[in-house]
Amino acid sequence: MSQPSPTTDIRRDIVALLPRLRRFALTLAGKAAEADDLVRGATTRAIQKSHHWKGEGRIENWLFSLIRATWADELKKRRRAGQNTVMGHDKEDRRATPSALLLPEGFASAILLTDVEGFTYTEAAAILGIPTDLLSSRLCAARLSLAAAGNETSERRA
Amino acid sequence: MNALQPSPLELRLSAYIDGQADEQERHDLEALLVNDPQARALHEVLKRGADLGRRVFDDMLKEPVPLDLVRGIKNAPLPRKAVRLPHAPRPNFAFKPSAPQFLGVCLALFLVGGGIGYVVGTNPIVPEQLRFSAASASNRDWLDDIVAHYRLYSRQTNHLTEIPADRPADILEWLTTNTGVSFRIPDLSVSGLTFQGARLFAAGGVPVGQLIYRRNDGDGDPDVIAITFTKTRPEGNRSIEEIRNDTGLVTWVSPLATYMIVGPSSAADLDDIAAKAAGLL
Repeated sequence: MSQPSPTTDIRRDIVALLPRLRRFALTLAGKAAEADDLVRGATTRAIQKSHHWKGEGRIENWLFSLIRATWADELKKRRRAGQNTVMGHDKEDRRATPSALLLPEGFASAILLTDVEGFTYTEAAAILGIPTDLLSSRLCAARLSLAAAGNETSERRA
Repeated sequence: MNALQPSPLELRLSAYIDGQADEQERHDLEALLVNDPQARALHEVLKRGADLGRRVFDDMLKEPVPLDLVRGIKNAPLPRKAVRLPHAPRPNFAFKPSAPQFLGVCLALFLVGGGIGYVVGTNPIVPEQLRFSAASASNRDWLDDIVAHYRLYSRQTNHLTEIPADRPADILEWLTTNTGVSFRIPDLSVSGLTFQGARLFAAGGVPVGQLIYRRNDGDGDPDVIAITFTKTRPEGNRSIEEIRNDTGLVTWVSPLATYMIVGPSSAADLDDIAAKAAGLL
């Protein structure tokens, strides 16, 4: 995991982490175009605030937290404007979308941060701004849902 | 099993897979997995779900990243200049000693140095306790204490404050008396912050007052932002903006006090809040 010195140009670190940042943004926004806008907004924020980053801990924690905070701001804006804030996929979308992104809200982020990114429960809960108990419950539910979806797919194939 | 609301056994087995169970719990679950075929099947289901998730998310990394996104980041403008916060005034004096003054100071220093040398020479053993206390005091970082308090209390929903916001007179009296810093409770509603109350604690061995705010946007997980103040510290006589783990700090100083805004590192407007609070305190 990268632990850059404060003098390193943060833009280079962000570009190196971009596929992972985009993947996390996808678990929040659900759709590629929205995830790209989210990453764009959060990374602009990170670059503008890069003088705050002193190289303590993992930069991923900070960047993932910024993405989550930027997404929360976006949802607030939409709520104020009376727009729909619930992620939805039409039939065409559902076929093209990875199964993990079709899970109920919050499940995909929980499984990504713990099982894939390797954050501890405490770190993942801090990034998502939720209590640790809720994180472990969402993670368990995500595993059960994915296993059930995997079974359905194999049965259909058989 | 209901995937949306896992059962207690499912939750325990899921935590066990991640090594989050303590030793006793691990022994209990291992015994259960040996003796109970249903628990074993559930354990396999959870592991299969985790593996499937890993595979799906690993595949997502194979998708190319849009080039305009990469270009946008590489060409993003450099950080803007930090907000200028008030600094403690620096005394302005010219140091031009005359020859007699210079000689006088040299003589005085010689006498003081000789005196100290004599005292140390006659008592060469420094008390053990004194050495330890000096070392521990120098290692102590008052900012770490403040961050530790913030991280402890910002997660409390029922016990966030010591004195609630509806008792402003109590807050002013309690914190002014104990910290020696006179202040006002700033109205930061323009930054979306609602005053929740106050706390008093010790950081680096001195009393520190804290005014606690929440973002009043009705969201499920509101940010907690705290204005912290203490009597001016000699080592803290400069403005700092930094991030310690997931906590952001912005400090500024006045002739009588050191102030600090503490909040989550993801809050991008801590310096703006500090600039507003500096004018209202």
